[in-house]
Amino acid sequence: MTQLSSKLAIPTAIATLLVAGCGGYDYANEPAAAPSVTDAGTRADAATSVEADAGAAPVDDGYGPTVDTSGTLSAEWQARLASRTPDYSAALRTASLRLRGELPTLLETKFVAGAGNARLAYESFIDAWLEDPALQGQLLTFWRNTFRAGGSAELNAAPAFATWLVLEDRPLTELFTAETGACATITDGVISPGDCDNGVPRHAGVLSTPGLMSHFRSNLAFRRVRWVQETFACTAFPAEIDAPIDVGGASPYTAPWGFETIAGEGNGGRIDFHDVSSVTCANCHATMNHLAPLFAHFDDDGMFQDDFAVRLPLTDSPVALRSDWLPEGEETGWRYGVSATTLPELGEAMANDPEVEACFVARAWNFALGKGDIVATLSVVPTTVIATERAEFAAGGHRMKALLRAVFTSDDFTSF
Amino acid sequence: MTTRHLVCLAVLLALPACGKSPDFNTDREMPAALPDYATGGGGTASGTEGTFDHPAALGDITTDVREALERIEEEGPPAYTAHVHSCRKIPYATLGRVLTSRGVDLAAEGSSAGALFRESDQALGAPNYGARISESTDVTVATASRLFDIFVQAAPEIIAAMPSLEACKIGERGATMFDAEGACTADGISCLLGVPATETHVALCDTFVARASTPEIGRAIAVASMLAANFTCE
Repeated sequence: MTQLSSKLAIPTAIATLLVAGCGGYDYANEPAAAPSVTDAGTRADAATSVEADAGAAPVDDGYGPTVDTSGTLSAEWQARLASRTPDYSAALRTASLRLRGELPTLLETKFVAGAGNARLAYESFIDAWLEDPALQGQLLTFWRNTFRAGGSAELNAAPAFATWLVLEDRPLTELFTAETGACATITDGVISPGDCDNGVPRHAGVLSTPGLMSHFRSNLAFRRVRWVQETFACTAFPAEIDAPIDVGGASPYTAPWGFETIAGEGNGGRIDFHDVSSVTCANCHATMNHLAPLFAHFDDDGMFQDDFAVRLPLTDSPVALRSDWLPEGEETGWRYGVSATTLPELGEAMANDPEVEACFVARAWNFALGKGDIVATLSVVPTTVIATERAEFAAGGHRMKALLRAVFTSDDFTSF
Repeated sequence: MTTRHLVCLAVLLALPACGKSPDFNTDREMPAALPDYATGGGGTASGTEGTFDHPAALGDITTDVREALERIEEEGPPAYTAHVHSCRKIPYATLGRVLTSRGVDLAAEGSSAGALFRESDQALGAPNYGARISESTDVTVATASRLFDIFVQAAPEIIAAMPSLEACKIGERGATMFDAEGACTADGISCLLGVPATETHVALCDTFVARASTPEIGRAIAVASMLAANFTCE
């Protein structure tokens, strides 16, 4: 194997980390960008490049086994994984804390420890706890932490709705597609779906709830866009990366959208998203600007307005115009080639996005295995790790209870 | 070098690894006038006199690339670490339930464990949703030390309450933390920790008691120490 100096090990590790948004750890099996005639050459180049990169994993003497950037592990790391053994008592304790927010009782502990078939005994508890009333509280906490919202009726509405979807065994994609019910309430511990009264013509699940829209208010609606991206796609911006092109700045332009499909000083925008003097703003804003107008009708209180209700960070804080995000004729969209001209269309696009599907699985996985937020703490979950659970999640119609069962009974969760 | 520089560097480094062509010559749509874009300024807001706030995170807590690299060096690559359990902090609410179920009165006043618990939400990493901050998963020094303070105060309550706790009963008989001779019991430790006690657990517990200045102090230290070790990670 190639020996790598410690200096080179750092950028290698950085590249490996960030591969999360690209081929090796991409949640989607295919690039997010839509097919394009001009992209054909790029895709072919990419395939060649991946093949060339899939050689021996480098090893640094001071570090031990290191990463193969193709997403697989070196033999030493694989050996470490293989050395784990099932411990259903330890798994029972952790699962109980996660699913019930409580330690197992002495009786439960002894039952699993003394069972002839410990795995079967353990799984019987998982099944029971997924129907335990205590699960509701744990799910509420999970969704509050996922949404970064809670503590008031308005901010509890969306986490409560998400919890209700799970408890009722409904598809999680209803988080984006539900036209009713997303402003859920909690009364005496009982969650009831409720309709939002913030004037939205047609709702799109939690994407149009007043509490969240108010909570993530900002200039140009960019905080709302960022929240949607990080929460449901599990990656920070830039959300889309394509072959780099030189736009005359210090760094290249890497988004799949045409450079001039967003606003700038040359095509009517009051903020120059084409600026490349320091960083290439458009790398992130290409996607952001195609999303933001959809969220810009909500005012600071989360009430829907017919006109745009967000402002620009300029003198006198003028109200944003559509031309501040996009030039005339440019449509909004979820991703390059995935049009979404309304919030319900955006919700549909997200519900059909494999990246979003994988994000749900990765978040459930990180919850079970005690990781931090997948974006805020860069707790990346490679595609290969959750492939089985993701397949079950998709086949089961995106139900989270089944997903939780799959994760909590997985070999990884029960091995130490 | 700023975090932004690191991120930019990282993106550039990652691109070849992603299998994207490093060749900038592409027939994808190009800007009409490259030099204009490169100059910045020109009366719009993104020139040198008009920069914008780009917060590092939705809340104010985030992990930068350098921290992530250090974590990779310590723990291993994501393709390994994603397979194994992490050591996350016990959530604040979960700690409250655990203490209650093991006999601690969270409503008690004074220097009790309950009072300490109620006053320690920030030290224990409770969420601040109003500021868009989720509950922390990191075990900090402040968190660990406050946890131990709480466990030390809670230990006498737990020892006294254990025989009558539903969570520690097998049938009608409740487990005790210590037997009549003052030795640690396996059932007591099992109930305290939520996992079956091993011989090592029992021996360690007895050692704590034996080495203390008094048996009473030793018992409290034994219980607090085992709780602290057990709940360093959820």
